[in-house]
Amino acid sequence: MNKSKFSLMQLRADLKASWAIAKKDVRIYYIKPGTLMFGILFPLFMFLSFAVGKNAPAATLIPGLISITILFSSSSIGPMVIPTERRVKTFERLQSAPISFYSIILGKTLGGFLFSLFIGVIPLLIGIVWFETQITSPIALIAGLTLASYCFATLGIMFASFPTENPGDIMMLLNFVRLPLIFISGLYIPIESLPEWGQVVAAFSPLTYANDLVRYALEVKTLYGPVLDSIVLLFFTGVFLLLSMRIQRKFREGVSMRKRRVKQG
Amino acid sequence: MVNAIEAIGLAKNYGDVLAVNHINFEVKKGEIFGFLGPNGAGKTTTIRMLTSLTKPSDGTAKIFGHDIQRETLVAKRYMGIVPEISNIYDDLSAWDNLIFTGELYQVNKPERERRAKELLDMFGLYDRRNEKAKGFSKGMKRRLTISMGLINNPQLLFLDEPTSGLDVQSALIIKDVVRDLNQKSVTIFLTTHNIEEANVTCDRVAIIHKGKIAAIDTPEKLKKTIQSVQSVEVAFDKTSPKILKELEKILHVNEVRKEGDKFRLYTHDPASVLEGLWEYAQENNLKPISLSTLGPSLEDVFVRLTELDVKTEKGEF
Repeated sequence: MNKSKFSLMQLRADLKASWAIAKKDVRIYYIKPGTLMFGILFPLFMFLSFAVGKNAPAATLIPGLISITILFSSSSIGPMVIPTERRVKTFERLQSAPISFYSIILGKTLGGFLFSLFIGVIPLLIGIVWFETQITSPIALIAGLTLASYCFATLGIMFASFPTENPGDIMMLLNFVRLPLIFISGLYIPIESLPEWGQVVAAFSPLTYANDLVRYALEVKTLYGPVLDSIVLLFFTGVFLLLSMRIQRKFREGVSMRKRRVKQG
Repeated sequence: MVNAIEAIGLAKNYGDVLAVNHINFEVKKGEIFGFLGPNGAGKTTTIRMLTSLTKPSDGTAKIFGHDIQRETLVAKRYMGIVPEISNIYDDLSAWDNLIFTGELYQVNKPERERRAKELLDMFGLYDRRNEKAKGFSKGMKRRLTISMGLINNPQLLFLDEPTSGLDVQSALIIKDVVRDLNQKSVTIFLTTHNIEEANVTCDRVAIIHKGKIAAIDTPEKLKKTIQSVQSVEVAFDKTSPKILKELEKILHVNEVRKEGDKFRLYTHDPASVLEGLWEYAQENNLKPISLSTLGPSLEDVFVRLTELDVKTEKGEF
């Protein structure tokens, strides 16, 4: 068979497999009352615990609430699902199928992305219904929700690529990154008010750009501009995906190898 | 004709441990090939390398002529894989598990639905197709795992311990399906601890020990290599613990094993042992209720090839 024809067929097969994996993940892991409640309530309470008592009008808090909801919902599922699938060996089922490793990663991120997109719309609706939040730029809002959801889904997948069968190991590591991010990304303290070193650090946080983009879509306020926000989010997505692949390849045999060493020892 | 599997100097290191030591073998198209070995011998590592789940440290393997490392995806299209642990999705129904696997293997929708129905029927699961797999027994889960391995009509099926720890009904269904598949020219690579299962199922077997192929041939030819290991099996009308020790004293008896209510006396001279046995029975007022002479079994070959280490391990304890 012609090589390019085969590559095209394989690409089609990979994309179909990614979609099948995403659908399966949504059915098994995402549409569960517990997951949905956790996805909404955890960021909501976390946000309220820091935002309540501030003098800012409630409507101005909505972009931050959307950003934090997307961050937590999209980055949490991968680290829960992948180690669990490693433990019950269903991840090996995916690895043994005639599909590329990219399609597995794409499928896994796609599931987290769809879940997060759905969850992210909830605080937006709360804002529209109760706090008179207005969408000033629908395109920027769609870009903000989709780019942020996909970016943070890949962040979760990147952490889940480390070879462990215990979701707790990954969540611990992930929280070391996620929790500081919410303080330096302009959610509670405007970036302009941060000290100089804080502003430099903020520039390295994808949450900064996600929040800036959503804020632009709802309040027309922006620090970097929607185009730069979108480009940087795409850049972070690419970096996280690339690192996911690298880590997965490096540690592909990590879990079984460790077990085997113990067994042989 | 191209071989279904060709292992070429396949090796795998785990740190300092050489789990598989440069093994070479071929599996012919349409063959049922048994891969036997004690725990830790390298069976699962070999299967993982052949299915591309583990990267070899050295050497390679070809699946229907396609290099598993360079043409991984093409090689995988020929395979169905049934791992030792039933890796099904507990939260999906039996039907959805099969449909999802069909999607992964790019089986088109009408075909995967037809195939799912056929397989569920074949494995006696069709009536429970809409139930979540988490409610299934171990045997049902195993049957579902095998049916998932067959959804893409593979030309080569890897079966890792297919009947280990199963109920009789499930084990019988699986054995029937394996025979049926073989009649349809599907090549089967089978690892098992059950030597008798390999003896009656496999066209050829390889015995792997400490990461090396210790022997590879048809079961009957392997048995012929140890013709000196013959045995006499006897059951008496009554039994006592001292019989085992006393039978060992009979001339030309090399070893005695108690197997249920029977004693198996290993020898290179069954005729002399029969005479000695007759005398022993008369002297001790025992009546033999069954008596037979047996050639070496595949298990004897297996024990012979791995015996040295069993003794060593016992010594260490």
